[in-house]
Amino acid sequence: MTFLSKFGLAAALVAGSVTAASAFTACQVTDVGGIDDAGFNQTAWKGLEDVKTSDGIEGRFLESQAETDYAPNINSFIGQCDVIITVGFLMGDATKAAAEANPDQKFSIVDFAYDPTIPNVVGQVYATNQGGFLAGYLAAGMSKTGVLGTFGGINIPPVTDFMDGFVHGANLYNERHGTEVTVLGWNPESKEGLFTGNFESLDDGRAFAQNLYDEGADIVMPVAGPVGLGSAALADELGTDALKIIGVDADQYMTDTEKQHVYLTSVLKRMDATVTQVIKSAMDGSFAGGLVVGTLENDGVGLAPYHAFEDAVPAELKAEIEEIKAGIIDGSITVGG
Amino acid sequence: MDVELRGLTKRFGPVVANDNVNLMIRGGEVLGLLGENGAGKSTMMNMLSGLYTPDAGEILIDGKPVRFEGPGDGIAAGIGMVHQHFMLVPVFTVAENVVLGVEPTGRLGYLDLKKARAQVEAINEKYGLHVPADALIENLPVGIQQRVEILKVLFREADVLILDEPTAVLTPQEVEEFFGIVKGLKEAGKAIVFITHKLHEILAISDRISVLRQGRITGEGDPATLDEEKLAEMMVGRHVSFTVKKTPAQPGSEMLRLDRVTLLDDGDDRLLDNVTFTVHSGEIVGIAGVQGNGQTELVEVITGLARQNAGKISFAGDDISTLSVRERHRRGMAHIPEDRHRMGMVDKFTIAENMVLNSYYDEAYAAPFGSVNWNRVHETAAAFCVDFDVRTPSVFLAGGALSGGNQQKMVVARELERQTRLVVASQPTRGVDVGSIEYIHERLVRSRDEGDGVLIVSSELDEIMGLSDRILVMFEGRIVAEFDNTGGKADRNQVGLAMAGATGTETVGGTAA
Amino acid sequence: MSTSIGKRELDETGRKLLERAMRGREEFEDLVIVPIFAVIVALILGALVMLATGVDLETIGRSFVALAKGSFGSINAVSETLTSAIPLVLAGLGLGLGFRAGLFNIGAEGQILMGGLAAAIFAFSFPGLPSFLLIPLALIAGALVGAIYAGIAGVLKAATGAHEVITTIMLNLSSYLILIYMLKRPYVQVAGRSDPVSKSVPPAGELPRLLDWLDPNLRLHAGLFLMLAAVAFVWWVLFRSKIGFAFRASGANPDAARYAGMKSGLIIVAAMASAGALAGLAGAAQVQGVLWRATPGFSAGIGFDAIALALLGRSHPVGILFAGILFGGLEAGGRQMQVDAGVSIDLIGIIQALIIVFIAAPLLVRALFPWGFARAPKGGK
Repeated sequence: MTFLSKFGLAAALVAGSVTAASAFTACQVTDVGGIDDAGFNQTAWKGLEDVKTSDGIEGRFLESQAETDYAPNINSFIGQCDVIITVGFLMGDATKAAAEANPDQKFSIVDFAYDPTIPNVVGQVYATNQGGFLAGYLAAGMSKTGVLGTFGGINIPPVTDFMDGFVHGANLYNERHGTEVTVLGWNPESKEGLFTGNFESLDDGRAFAQNLYDEGADIVMPVAGPVGLGSAALADELGTDALKIIGVDADQYMTDTEKQHVYLTSVLKRMDATVTQVIKSAMDGSFAGGLVVGTLENDGVGLAPYHAFEDAVPAELKAEIEEIKAGIIDGSITVGG
Repeated sequence: MDVELRGLTKRFGPVVANDNVNLMIRGGEVLGLLGENGAGKSTMMNMLSGLYTPDAGEILIDGKPVRFEGPGDGIAAGIGMVHQHFMLVPVFTVAENVVLGVEPTGRLGYLDLKKARAQVEAINEKYGLHVPADALIENLPVGIQQRVEILKVLFREADVLILDEPTAVLTPQEVEEFFGIVKGLKEAGKAIVFITHKLHEILAISDRISVLRQGRITGEGDPATLDEEKLAEMMVGRHVSFTVKKTPAQPGSEMLRLDRVTLLDDGDDRLLDNVTFTVHSGEIVGIAGVQGNGQTELVEVITGLARQNAGKISFAGDDISTLSVRERHRRGMAHIPEDRHRMGMVDKFTIAENMVLNSYYDEAYAAPFGSVNWNRVHETAAAFCVDFDVRTPSVFLAGGALSGGNQQKMVVARELERQTRLVVASQPTRGVDVGSIEYIHERLVRSRDEGDGVLIVSSELDEIMGLSDRILVMFEGRIVAEFDNTGGKADRNQVGLAMAGATGTETVGGTAA
Repeated sequence: MSTSIGKRELDETGRKLLERAMRGREEFEDLVIVPIFAVIVALILGALVMLATGVDLETIGRSFVALAKGSFGSINAVSETLTSAIPLVLAGLGLGLGFRAGLFNIGAEGQILMGGLAAAIFAFSFPGLPSFLLIPLALIAGALVGAIYAGIAGVLKAATGAHEVITTIMLNLSSYLILIYMLKRPYVQVAGRSDPVSKSVPPAGELPRLLDWLDPNLRLHAGLFLMLAAVAFVWWVLFRSKIGFAFRASGANPDAARYAGMKSGLIIVAAMASAGALAGLAGAAQVQGVLWRATPGFSAGIGFDAIALALLGRSHPVGILFAGILFGGLEAGGRQMQVDAGVSIDLIGIIQALIIVFIAAPLLVRALFPWGFARAPKGGK
């Protein structure tokens, strides 16, 4: 009984405190990968945490376990939060519905651009094909087998943008060096490729990387959130001479610390930067519906340091990457088709 | 070893299952304990084995009071139960089953099966049980399985053996052998409690008899001074008639005809081999035979549960060879199945639901939109219960909660309380108390007198001899003999010989075979 | 010849037999007290799990307050609870009906997917139909396709004896792939998307929301009435109709059903198809009421939760209704737990599982709370 009575006391105390008003509150609804996916959702959450640390705001999140959770999760935050950030292209419809039903509530969505725009929603999108392009060029230069691999979670633009850039970057390397490096897993013309169909299964990540490796690929870029952690585990077992991984979204050398040595680099999608930017605009009153686009130019996308491979990447290749990055920014190099 | 029960009382809620029971069980003696289903025999035995604790009274072993707290205490004190339903693992050998739970183990706990086998063989030898120690249980006939149960309690060094309805599952021959074993155990100084409701068996084997009715000991005595009628009266509490009262049959038109009916099993063995016979309205035809000679299959073929491979079946002149179970039933064929728990009823269903198990679709119960008029069903069920003396507080009670006799009366009521023309009754009184047996027999005769054809299949020869106007004997899937039993004139010995497969038996009188 | 069945005059003794025995106290305990205690024990154990993972007492208290608030504490909470309960109850009714007929159908998940897909396709194929036609027709399309899909397993069992546990599991796996394949067909896929997403259900095909006049965020939709009607209908089928009698007899004792002339093959197929129709309806209600389109993961495990639900409700329609509301409440309340206390959603899964464990083991609950029951567990003193 002592435990129970203490417990009851705690409950009573708490009941009072729940309703206590607090400072500016930013809320985030994650996609099915979860808040600790070492990539997509975690990066976006980091943006919120950064503001929490710097400006002392309140932060809350809800994890979606299935697509059916999107709408109720968003609804749970309505009226409770100053700004609601939904993370993921698949939440596009649910966010739109909620925004139209609640015109006074500020929303922002990662990875979705509305056309036409909605007055109370800021879409955050990223030119990840630019980052993917650099990664493709780098990988083509580093491959010993002349075969690269990539696969995605599901066939939606925020995923395939990476893959588009990756293929085109490798093609540019072939043009300049007369090589014939091929990329398995994505065809930018037909928009067909390899997809796990989910953003959860580490087993799939392992199996897909294994298939690509069996086909000769020695560098693989998984674009499927935590699924890629399974690919990293395979690379760890095979050894980085046989298989290297290119991370996406976050610098996975930093987030996947156990397997950090397998990441040649990561294609950064700085959702944390854009999320921070949106929250701050909501705080200072400059919030306006529309679009925020992350590019190489504004550091919204980029390539992570080579970390473990710092010495392995030839200096000439590093220089070429820098030169191409500058070319993309000034428009002299186009990353598409 | 002697065991005495003194003033033993056990209540379950308002029900007094045992009321001030005094009983003396002596070594080297067979005590026959007689009682109807529900008289309190099982409760008493469960107190002796330690499963129940008495509310009052005491148990004394060799004069010293003992207290049993749990199910293991009885056997530890030397009191062993042989249950009616065997508790054996079918895929284990005899020796493995016997030692299960008290395995002789060697060092490090490894199972010493060789030692177990030797111990089993020793007991086998001592009491003449003749059980093959290495055979798998599933390959042994029921009679031998029962001896394995006895082996189990002997292995646990029991001095008192309680045998609960041991003959219920045995053929007449097996009963004889079983009695031999019981005598051997008695001579070895064991105390035997023989529980049954079969009067002739208790008279044949017991040294003393106690009768239990409604939780009380209502009679005790020496078998030499008692007879079946007196015992039955003590057991039921009123006079019971053993001879089925009936007038000579007046056979009318042909109701059922089987014409060269053959049924094969999955292989090519003939379960039924060219079976041909008829049943007329107004007569009772009995099929005698040791169980497993095709009687079950015969009933299934007649009622439509199995389809014959060859031959023709006619019912009241119509060929019904390919008709469904329901259509045959609808045309007036009643079927009392041999095993009511397996087939005749749904234990979980209420009495009312069981009463319409195969007639729920009847127009009499029809209600709009394909529903059943349950009020009508309940009223009908109540009327059936009254007509057939099914003793229950309510028709909403689960069928499984009734005693065996009442369950069977429920099944019989359901089958006979319709427009019937042919009654197929398989083991109509198996596991039923004396009072109910009398009643069921009476109703079957009444069906005959109302003009139905009645076909009775029973492994109890007494039942066949008492009820039938004509007797057919089945052996290995064939009808091997036919006897005219008008006025009970068939020779019991001749029928018994035919059941055992003796060749050369002639068709004695009767109609076409 | 004997007396005939049908209307009979009853004497005093007979009328007495018609008195219904009072519902036994034991039954009341099993149906009401055991579940209540099971929930309490599960919550306490859930608290212990939280303690073990380093959550402090205050947060635990706050999370349970949130659980109560989020499940039944406001209009919005009740709306969410019922919205979650609708597909669970519909699918659970189908499974319960199957269990009663002795069929352990694991395939509700697949039947939901197929039914929902069918409803979506039907609805966007006839955008011109008025609501009063489009809504019911799309629901029927979902039920029909669910019935056919489950019927496959029924026919396989009736014709070849293939066990329904195996076949329905396989049909579940197939359904995921069929769904994705169908969603990629140009006719089904929404224009401008390369991932598998169906076209949207036209507004005329949406199940109307019931409370949007109060607050546009309240998602409770007309599927509520569908659910309640289905509860009543399944109750009627099981306990009043002829076919239901045959279902129950086959489930409780197949040999007795055969003896009674019931056709086992027909019953298996009919029971599977009915179960599939209800699961298909669950999928259709989800698509027309909540999601408005079909996507690869739209069943969200409802078909598996519904198995637990049917067992929890002891395959009785009313029991399933209450179990469904309990599950819906846990889902909605769990969300609030995350929001208010930051407790992981996985914990709700643990509590749900614990509740099921304790309800499935009434003797354990009786042993834990002896003072809550009139009689000690059987075999005791």
